Amino acid sequence: MALHSPPPAGNKERGWNDPPQFSYGLQTQAGGPKRTPLTKRVAAPQDGAPRVPTSETSPGPSPMGPPPPSSTASRPPAVGSCPASTVDPIDFPVTECETLLEDVLRPLEQALDDCRGHTKKQVCDDISRRLALLQEQWAGGKLSTPVKKRMALLVQELSRHQWDAADDIHRSLMVDHVTEVSQWMVGVKRLIAEKRSLSSEEEANEEKAAATSENQTVPEQDP
Amino acid sequence: MATYLEFIQQNEERDGVRFSWNVWPSSRLEATRMVVPLACLLTPLKERLDLPPVQYEPVLCSRPTCKAILNPLCQVDYRAKLWACNFCFQRNQFPPAYTGISEVNQPAELMPQFSTIEYMIQRGPQSPLVFLYVVDTCLEEEDLQALKESLQMSLSLLPPDALVGLITFGRMVQVHELSCEGISKSYVFRGTKDLTAKQIQDMLGLTKPAMPMQQARPAQPQEHPFVSSRFLQPVHKIDMNLTDLLGELQRDPWPVNQGKRPLRSTGVALSIAVGLLEGTFPNTGARIMLFTGGPPTQGPGMVVGDELKVPIRSWHDIEKDNARFMKKATKHYEMLANRTATNGHCIDIYACALDQTGLLEMKCCANLTGGYMVMGDSFNTSLFKQTFQRIFSKDFNGDFRMAFGATLEVKTSRELKIAGAIGPCVSLNVKGPCVSENELGVGGTSQWKICALDATSTLGIYFEVVNQHNAPIPQGGRGAIQFVTQYQHSSTQRRIRVTTIARNWADAQSQFKHIEAAFDQEAAAVLMARLGVFRAESEEGPDILRWLDRQLIRLCQKFGQYNKEDPTSFRLSDSFSLYPQFMFHLRRSPFLQVFNNSPDESSYYRHHFARQDLTQSLIMIQPILYSYSFHGPPEPVLLDSSSILADRILLMDTFFQIVIYLGETIAQWRKAGYQDMPEYENFKHLLQAPVDDAQEILQARFPMPRYINTEHGGSQARFLLSKVNPSQTHNNLYAWGQETGAPILTDDVSLQVFMDHLKKLAVSSAS
Repeated sequence: MALHSPPPAGNKERGWNDPPQFSYGLQTQAGGPKRTPLTKRVAAPQDGAPRVPTSETSPGPSPMGPPPPSSTASRPPAVGSCPASTVDPIDFPVTECETLLEDVLRPLEQALDDCRGHTKKQVCDDISRRLALLQEQWAGGKLSTPVKKRMALLVQELSRHQWDAADDIHRSLMVDHVTEVSQWMVGVKRLIAEKRSLSSEEEANEEKAAATSENQTVPEQDP
Repeated sequence: MATYLEFIQQNEERDGVRFSWNVWPSSRLEATRMVVPLACLLTPLKERLDLPPVQYEPVLCSRPTCKAILNPLCQVDYRAKLWACNFCFQRNQFPPAYTGISEVNQPAELMPQFSTIEYMIQRGPQSPLVFLYVVDTCLEEEDLQALKESLQMSLSLLPPDALVGLITFGRMVQVHELSCEGISKSYVFRGTKDLTAKQIQDMLGLTKPAMPMQQARPAQPQEHPFVSSRFLQPVHKIDMNLTDLLGELQRDPWPVNQGKRPLRSTGVALSIAVGLLEGTFPNTGARIMLFTGGPPTQGPGMVVGDELKVPIRSWHDIEKDNARFMKKATKHYEMLANRTATNGHCIDIYACALDQTGLLEMKCCANLTGGYMVMGDSFNTSLFKQTFQRIFSKDFNGDFRMAFGATLEVKTSRELKIAGAIGPCVSLNVKGPCVSENELGVGGTSQWKICALDATSTLGIYFEVVNQHNAPIPQGGRGAIQFVTQYQHSSTQRRIRVTTIARNWADAQSQFKHIEAAFDQEAAAVLMARLGVFRAESEEGPDILRWLDRQLIRLCQKFGQYNKEDPTSFRLSDSFSLYPQFMFHLRRSPFLQVFNNSPDESSYYRHHFARQDLTQSLIMIQPILYSYSFHGPPEPVLLDSSSILADRILLMDTFFQIVIYLGETIAQWRKAGYQDMPEYENFKHLLQAPVDDAQEILQARFPMPRYINTEHGGSQARFLLSKVNPSQTHNNLYAWGQETGAPILTDDVSLQVFMDHLKKLAVSSAS
């Protein structure tokens, strides 16, 4: 945990004591080292009276001394003593330079062009409309840097045919930045799905073609 | 096995079962003298990373009245290829596929480590999961916008081939047709008139195409998508159009005059949702998800009128029989809940508003169907948003953590009978020789339906020992119970999970110590609490408290060690030592005390209490308190006012709230800014440690709890002060000599006084 910036606080105006907002990556982080759950209890002594409490500072409103300085007191560990997780799933290796709209949009449009003919026209038009919306919002400066960066990664995964990874980035964007992305992201989501089905079809075709070409070496025997 | 604690823990991990007694008294009379009934908490689908399902069907006992499933407790004759049922002693032939079995070649279900096993069933049609959103549009703009975004977000989290539908309501109810074409159509219903299932289906045009087909040939599940295609569509097909449709949703356009509540037709909207699924997808996994921002104010199921000057019912009104709409509304929602349960569907309620929304009247919709109940202040809170996201969380295999349409069947040895179950289930009314006439919870049956469940859904199941007194200890020395849970996995496969357990019988006279040592006080506390909370739904609060007190006194009389009339001599053994304090905190809990809670809040707390597993339930009964200081690592401390010290930070988990409380000195140090000085970096770490631990809890908890950061003297310190045992109050403050801990301003009885009375009553020969 220590490596993460703390999750942003919840909406204190709308809900009393609203809990902090965890990112998609933190919530889905499965199988990471878990701390010892805080479920221990102390049994009350059987006479019911609490043991004499031990407060090391002087009781009452006596003048306050400073806390023990770092050199004399060791750092108290959190209860679960396992080391904090070092893998931040959101901490993608992105270079610091500004992500360019062109670098994100062009591959998406290319993917859409690939799908035309395979996917229904109406769906393609719908996706196209949403990509235009993405372009408009990006150009209008309405998208935040994390969204832009993650979109660049999504496009990378898409061009590498890593469908699950691309889909997962899309989900993380929907969960963490729904207000910014909800209107057009569904087009990207659909594009990933269409491109995936297209590519699996192509693979199947290639296999078939390979099989056919093998068959063609056998002389055809027309009756 | 080293200790009973280890035995109990291992059994919970392997079988998802915790019994109140792990050695069973062998006669009816002795069992009743144990006070706490023989019962267990069962988590039917407890997550097991090491339990891949086997890909064949279970072997059943051939006796028609038994049909128990082959398990490690069965006697097997490998030469004759026979097995004897351990429940009815019927001898059965193995099916042909088992001809190769021998002592060294056993199927998994005969191995002792597979006391819990899961079968994957291949037959039968697999229909997609259905998610029907029922959305209140009488919301403030900000809330509606947040809710719309959450719903759009959910389309990315749903299984892609799941079917999704949308109903919106305000003064009218709109059922939206979902199509890939540009134009969106909807069917509008008046919110004041209740309609029968038949009428709804006629009006939505669901019956017409189905009728001739049904006459022509037996029901064909394949026809379903055709019938429903206009209202329920696969997510991957209509996600773009539905995103737009949701984005365009407007607040209810009907004007709301000053001094009025908006007219909200929740009752009719739910009725249409239930009718729609009833007609299209009976007996397949489906969630009706109701999102509402206020109470139903018109039509069947209305909870309050639209005049703002008349407030919604309070506990006071209910006691004075002054809650005008309560009974009628409750009846309406009970009717819907029962129909939904019959169809095998569930209803979730997400209620976000500052005032009550009618959860009291609507609670049965979630309670009887295994649906979730979520209560928040606004849809624009992380409490709601993250709770909602977590509905769609996945397990380690990448499968959704939700299961549907389960039936739980319980089979017992002859010396036991089933008294009932308490949890998110309904009775299937299956009588049989192992069903007791004495009911505890929902009884009179050996099977229950759980329409929706997840890996933590837990039922309390209660038994009765029926062996006669002085009869010998039953043959074999052990009693057995089999739990068979058939369900639809989120991947839509049918699966059967079978857990078969056995425990030793013991003679209560000669082997009393064994029975005592095998008492599971945590399970017993939760099981007794469930009984109390179950009764609290229909009986007066004080009666329940008296009943709990009487049970506790009797238990102490039976298992305490004492000299008659000498309270100071009273002692309980280790296996009972925590039980009285659990009961003390339970008496003070919001599950039994309605003071300071609205009827909706009580319903909400009780809903969660009746479905969580043992660990979470126990946190609800007696919150966990950890103390952080410079004097050592964080440690659990007594939930007591004496633990509130100036130089400590406390972290309290009540399940519904996570509280961080800075003691007086710590708060002063923080105010002075020591945490920002490099030489006091350890103070910064001390402040951070409970925050990190709290986040660990927040990340895993469902529903998302409230998160309270407070300090000595802060107004929110009340959340801590109201939970700790008030061992120091304004009344006895000076009796303690020095001022340590924090006095609590209360006249409530402390644990010490409670224990004194308990001991007096336990050792008294009069009681």
